[in-house]
Amino acid sequence: MTSAVFQPLRFRNLEVKNRVFRSSISGRFDNYDGSGTEVRHRWDMKFARGGVGAIISSNTPVHPRGLIVPNYAHLDADDKIPFWRELGKGAREYGCKYIAQIAYSGRQRDIPGITYSKGLSSTDRPEPIHGLPCERATVAQIREIVECFAQAARRAREAELDGIEIHGCNGYLITQFLSPAINDRKDEYGGSLENRARLPLEIVQAIRREVGDDFHMQFKITAVDHHNALFPWWGKGTKIEDSVQVCRWLLEAGVDGFHISSGSSFPHPRNPAGGFPIADTIRSYDTMLSSGKNTFRNYLLFRTPPFNKVFKWAWERSAKHDGIEGINLDEARRVKESVSVPVICAGGFQTQSTIATAIEDGFVDGVSMGRPLIANPDLVNLFEAGHDRAPRPCTYCNKCLINFIENPLGCYEQRRFDSRDEMVRQILSVYEPDPVEAMPA
Amino acid sequence: MIFEPLQLGPLTLKNRVVRSSVGGRWDNYDGSGTEVRINWELKFARAGVGAIIASNAPIHARGGILPGYALIDSDARIPFWRELGRRVHEHDCAYILQVNHAGRERILPGLTYRTGLSSTDEPEPLNGFPCERMTVEQIREVVGMYAAGARRAREAGLDGVEVAGANGMMPTQFLSSAINDRKDEYGGSLENRARFGLEVVRAVRAAVGPDFCIGYKISVEERLNELLPWLKRGNSVAESVQMCRWLEQAGVDYLHISAGAGFPHPRNPAGRFPAAEVVKTYDTLLSSGRHTFRNYLAFRTWPLSRIFAWWWQRPGRRLGIEGINLTAARAVKQAVSVPVLCTGGFQTASVIERAIGAGDCDGVTIARPLVANPDLVRHFEAGLDRPPRPCTYCNKCLFNFVENPLGCYEEARFDSREEMLAQIFSVYEPSETVAA
Repeated sequence: MTSAVFQPLRFRNLEVKNRVFRSSISGRFDNYDGSGTEVRHRWDMKFARGGVGAIISSNTPVHPRGLIVPNYAHLDADDKIPFWRELGKGAREYGCKYIAQIAYSGRQRDIPGITYSKGLSSTDRPEPIHGLPCERATVAQIREIVECFAQAARRAREAELDGIEIHGCNGYLITQFLSPAINDRKDEYGGSLENRARLPLEIVQAIRREVGDDFHMQFKITAVDHHNALFPWWGKGTKIEDSVQVCRWLLEAGVDGFHISSGSSFPHPRNPAGGFPIADTIRSYDTMLSSGKNTFRNYLLFRTPPFNKVFKWAWERSAKHDGIEGINLDEARRVKESVSVPVICAGGFQTQSTIATAIEDGFVDGVSMGRPLIANPDLVNLFEAGHDRAPRPCTYCNKCLINFIENPLGCYEQRRFDSRDEMVRQILSVYEPDPVEAMPA
Repeated sequence: MIFEPLQLGPLTLKNRVVRSSVGGRWDNYDGSGTEVRINWELKFARAGVGAIIASNAPIHARGGILPGYALIDSDARIPFWRELGRRVHEHDCAYILQVNHAGRERILPGLTYRTGLSSTDEPEPLNGFPCERMTVEQIREVVGMYAAGARRAREAGLDGVEVAGANGMMPTQFLSSAINDRKDEYGGSLENRARFGLEVVRAVRAAVGPDFCIGYKISVEERLNELLPWLKRGNSVAESVQMCRWLEQAGVDYLHISAGAGFPHPRNPAGRFPAAEVVKTYDTLLSSGRHTFRNYLAFRTWPLSRIFAWWWQRPGRRLGIEGINLTAARAVKQAVSVPVLCTGGFQTASVIERAIGAGDCDGVTIARPLVANPDLVRHFEAGLDRPPRPCTYCNKCLFNFVENPLGCYEEARFDSREEMLAQIFSVYEPSETVAA
């Protein structure tokens, strides 16, 4: 019997050949002005070639003010369409679908870049970890952002991509509205759950109006905020019951699928759950010192024992308790039980039997992967060849996550390689033109 | 004089204004070149400079100053440089590749090599970048890399190479009496300290043949102690001039005069120390050296930042910024018969005319003023003595390039911040080719 992992997954407007999605992840491979490059193309093709059913693009700002860090290709203007069309075409040659993740960072802008020094948010309180500054969006600004999402979705469709994913999680703009721990508005976009859910619902409705009924639209949501994971005296934020209700509303508004993640910020101890690599953090976090008012304090903490060890312990605690692979499965099931469309889930997946069981037991319909695919881009091909796990699995060390600010995204866990040279070679391989023999016939 | 041709050995330039080696982090982390670098160079080629000296092109991955610069370390890089040269040539502009090994002067070491190579094992003094002392065998290898880089430049159809011998790069680390502490045949006397640079020039000449332009950039005023008075001063002008004589004998076609045994240096690029801007990007360097955290604290702490800026700006105040190296250039020009190019803040036609007319130099190279006004030469052609909005020597370009696209960040020069950003981002716009 074929593993559940290799059953096609049918959404209303999209069929994916298997149950593995490349989650939204990429390095700073594009130009500073948001135009795309060959390098991003090669990055995504690594995974198309490696057998995933669909690629969800890395966060794609719908407006320059909505970037997280510079050097990510935007979908903010029609002149970006040709780049994305090529990307979708490239993926299709491997039978892989391509879904653009349209995103707006809000106040969570790790490196703001030179164009806008402050983000827009539901609130005017700075992002609490780094102290990234923001302005409270006016209702007029909110309408503009909704329209930016709609136009970005139209561009994705014009680029003949296979669908879009609305980035509604991980502490970015939509979370900043959904989360009662962040949203402190007194108007129709704050207060009750209905009000907090207004922005994402308006976005979904505006997109549907723009792209029609036959274009795939999925929504990535933080099912549980765990806002107090690091600091127990903070509020908890969104609970699963609230998220389930929001998903029902989103479904009515026209969403074709859900993608479950967690955490009211990014990064968050539960996403990507795993290690806090102190040495790598010190080397990369320095670049962020000018980004926020708490960054210098954090930097001192990260480089000073024993405070850094204590922080590491606090960071890793929650995932140690719940396990990393499938950390969001319970929440995914809660959503799946209440909606009639497929649900996929992020969170450390890299074991075929674990994924198959999660699908067979009705927790999810598919999974998305970030880090394990960075470590083993050909993981799905390995599954197909009968491996339950890659011979050198991802260790969840999170060094990839920390390095991407200054260095090319890739696996920086030297223990997974025979030598540092081999590791560096794999990292830099993203710059090499695609091997001709690997091209599909 | 500006618009008279200039002969650099076998190479003829249409005028006396050369774009000095300056470029942003336009290329891929692995050292492969991109379209953005081509766009950048074309800005200047299109606007009439006689030649472009490429921003430093590392001859080996370990010789990069920071990632994001196209390398000339293997034959696989040749097609990129060939395309770049072809596009620049369409504008009747010569293209000279600056072959470089940064030695210990590596502001962001990148992934591949954590420490640099140098004449010494003493870290670079301002930031504390670590390095290893080269063995004689390693020296021979590096000399061979310069030669191979130059051969590739010729194969790529470029018009010449310039050995980056100034500004604290590897040849300075050998030549400078303030840095080189070797006891072998590459250290000690001036002859010994000069050996590395001269071997590089001879090896390059052997690799490219007699009919290819070779230049050498040298810091005549080294003054390693200009900023940190407890350091040694370095070579005297007389010693540098002697080196220039030897370089001429070794076969260089021109000399390019700069200053400073490190980079940046209060004399190069002379001008302001914009502490507020520095703090925003210097943070990226914190993991690069053992003094960077100390420096960062000083740069962000009033009044230390003011004192440092005042100290930094001293030579520019005393000597003037435009033409700060002309005295040094004259000293070299009187001692050699090859043409002498001089860098240092040039942006006024009459100043350039006077420098050439007085025999201080044969041509000028320009970086910051061209970053501010890429069409500077067009202004000169139109009869202006200076562009309407000249470079202010604020050095914000210099400090932004680590994190942000290289460009002019002096908002006072623009009607609005948006206009400034539009100019900075214009480098990413596809540039048209002249009819193929």
